[in-house]
Amino acid sequence: MRIRPAFRRLAGAVLCSLLLGQSAAFARETVKIAFIGPLTGGISAHGIGGRNSAELAVQLRNADPNAKYTYELEAMDDECKPNVGVQVATKAASDKSIVAAIPFYCSAVAIAAVDVFHKFRMPMVVWAAVLPEITYGNDYQEVNRVSSTLINQNKVGSKFLVEQGYKTWVSIHDTTDYGKSMHKYFAENLPANGGKLLAEFGVGSDQQDFTAELTRIKELNPDVIYFGGLTPLAVRVITQMDKLGIKAQFQGTSGIFGDAFIKSLGAEAEGVFTTYDMPPVEQLPGGKFFLDAYAKAGYKEGFEAYGPYAFAATSLLLDVIEQVGPDRKKVIAALRDTHGKDSIVGKIEFDDHGQNITPMTTMYVVQDGKWVAWGESDYASGKRKLKNL
Amino acid sequence: MAAVPNDLLTVVPRGARPWLPGVLGLAVVAVLLGAFFYAESEWEVGVLLAIAAALGLAAPRVPLLASAETAWRARPRLFAWLALLAALGLIGLFREEHLALLMLATALFHIAACMGLNVQFGYCGVVNFAGAAFFGIGCYTAAMLAGHAALPTALIFVLGGACAALIGCVLLVPVLRTRGHYAALVTLAFGVLFRSFMEVNDTFGGPQGVKLPDMTLFGWALAMPPEWFGLDWSFYVNYALLGLALVAGLFVLLSRLERSWIGLALDVVRLDETAAATFGVQLTRWKIFAFVLGNFLMGVAGAMYAVMIAFVAPSSFTLGDSLILVSIVVLGGVGNQWGLLPAVVIVMLVPEKLQFIQEYRFLLYGLLVIAILLFKPDGLLPRRLRRYGTEEAA
Repeated sequence: MRIRPAFRRLAGAVLCSLLLGQSAAFARETVKIAFIGPLTGGISAHGIGGRNSAELAVQLRNADPNAKYTYELEAMDDECKPNVGVQVATKAASDKSIVAAIPFYCSAVAIAAVDVFHKFRMPMVVWAAVLPEITYGNDYQEVNRVSSTLINQNKVGSKFLVEQGYKTWVSIHDTTDYGKSMHKYFAENLPANGGKLLAEFGVGSDQQDFTAELTRIKELNPDVIYFGGLTPLAVRVITQMDKLGIKAQFQGTSGIFGDAFIKSLGAEAEGVFTTYDMPPVEQLPGGKFFLDAYAKAGYKEGFEAYGPYAFAATSLLLDVIEQVGPDRKKVIAALRDTHGKDSIVGKIEFDDHGQNITPMTTMYVVQDGKWVAWGESDYASGKRKLKNL
Repeated sequence: MAAVPNDLLTVVPRGARPWLPGVLGLAVVAVLLGAFFYAESEWEVGVLLAIAAALGLAAPRVPLLASAETAWRARPRLFAWLALLAALGLIGLFREEHLALLMLATALFHIAACMGLNVQFGYCGVVNFAGAAFFGIGCYTAAMLAGHAALPTALIFVLGGACAALIGCVLLVPVLRTRGHYAALVTLAFGVLFRSFMEVNDTFGGPQGVKLPDMTLFGWALAMPPEWFGLDWSFYVNYALLGLALVAGLFVLLSRLERSWIGLALDVVRLDETAAATFGVQLTRWKIFAFVLGNFLMGVAGAMYAVMIAFVAPSSFTLGDSLILVSIVVLGGVGNQWGLLPAVVIVMLVPEKLQFIQEYRFLLYGLLVIAILLFKPDGLLPRRLRRYGTEEAA
């Protein structure tokens, strides 16, 4: 009678080890990492998309028989509020079983909570928040970021258009933090690249009528109108530009990128130029792999704009843990030492502030009702021409 | 505490140790609260919530629990002191748990803010749906003064309250002239206005918010881990103690206020304005008093909270946050300071403890609040009517 349960247990163990391929899998230590993003509230779609992508990276790693550890992702909700962000960051950082974190979509939350990670000496890789000060505001060894700051797209965009032969600009931007920061870095970079800013117009993000601003712009007659703001505002500005007969080329930023922009404008969108901080997902080095894996995992929600970054940040972190073990101090040092590391969003190269400086900014132009990467467009090959050239 | 009703006094057990069930009850509450902070897994939190719900439902029916309540009511002062001791004990127990202390301090600062709302809502009947805005004014005052002026921290806390009270005066005329839904709308509008104003105003940090430096209160470095009794402490101990001191101080102040003729005047204004006016109670004076005092308290709580979080941004002071403050007051029982304690646990700590169900946690928390209001429409601990003649006996 006594043999039976023991036998059953043995048989079970043998079966399990057969199933898992190797018995070493038993000895794998569990390592926890935290994901922080807005899982509830107005922009929860982005947070959930990021969470799914990070979870996907963890699942793929756990399925890998060569992985040294079994990983567990603890997702936390910051509600896009700084005070809640500080709270969940404290929760993650003071939990000694959690080795590192993949935090923040919202810049305001990130700015508030980077101090917590520094205080508790917890390594982290920001997956989405774009404000430059998150990495450059302090000298924190713990803080790294795979997503770009909004500086780069302004540098790249203005430089490129100057090279195309444009000389004069006028800037319209909304007065939210996003629009103001966009304008700030645009205005800083334009003169260095050889362009001239004739005038600047700050407008409310829900302003309807731009006749006053556009009439003045028509007088100034710039080659290009730079626009720092989001899609709905851009649509109104372009429609009214056409009515007033302004012929300037339109230069947008990441805020107008997306299908909604083209749908609202129809044919008027043709030839609009913008910069966006990611090449088309299909063109990313591991883009196809990511798209397939995400589809296979069967998530209900899309991965949204920053999902690939969340995936890349998580994979990078897991690689580092595999390499140096689940020790916060070692992970901090090894993360900062990331140079030329392959990821699905391209090579990751951290500077001395942990900012990924691999330029991912891609130029897009609207061609026949679609956003087309500049290099593949008829505009680059010379078949079509941007306005005012 | 409300005055002790006659009928309850007579039930006080005349045995040798009438306070014993009360002490036991308090111990049970403290242990539950402590366990709640420690609980991490789903089932631990679930079991604790179930125990708390069962105790709450059974309290009026089980003699032992009921006598605990009676004992509390019979010796309010003794048990207030014991509750303070229990809170200190919990803080000592959690001395190294950063998150538990942060949550405890957050809860305490919100209790203090809700005490301000209680003065307006519960005592005088002045509605205020802009609680988060006044809390926020306190936060921003602290941020601005800490960043740009060399003032002692204690003064910054007081000025946080003063600014909230002063800016609140803008609302005096509409609040005095409107009633019911209209008064609610006026304060709602103010709350929305405050947030938009902070977002467009670069001087105050704009939508991105501002950071606060580390502060020192009378030589006590708040952001450093203290070295008391040769033990390791989390630096959040400082804030938990600060919050406890604030809540305890306000508790004494407001209990005395409630029992005084001022509290009586406020009650009359709330219950029947016509009657109050007929008896020569100045409606305007007492409404202004309650509104300004309440805003002051919210401002002070906000200033302390901002120093702890070390960062303020407009997105922390939305309409939703104002509603959270109101729901703490309503859930606890309008006008009863003790009610704030269980309410703040449910409104602020439960959602944090439910992080493991991620995006569904607010759903569950919403259901919980609805269930409580269905079964206890007057809140968890409704305020008792005052009765005169028994006060001296207590």
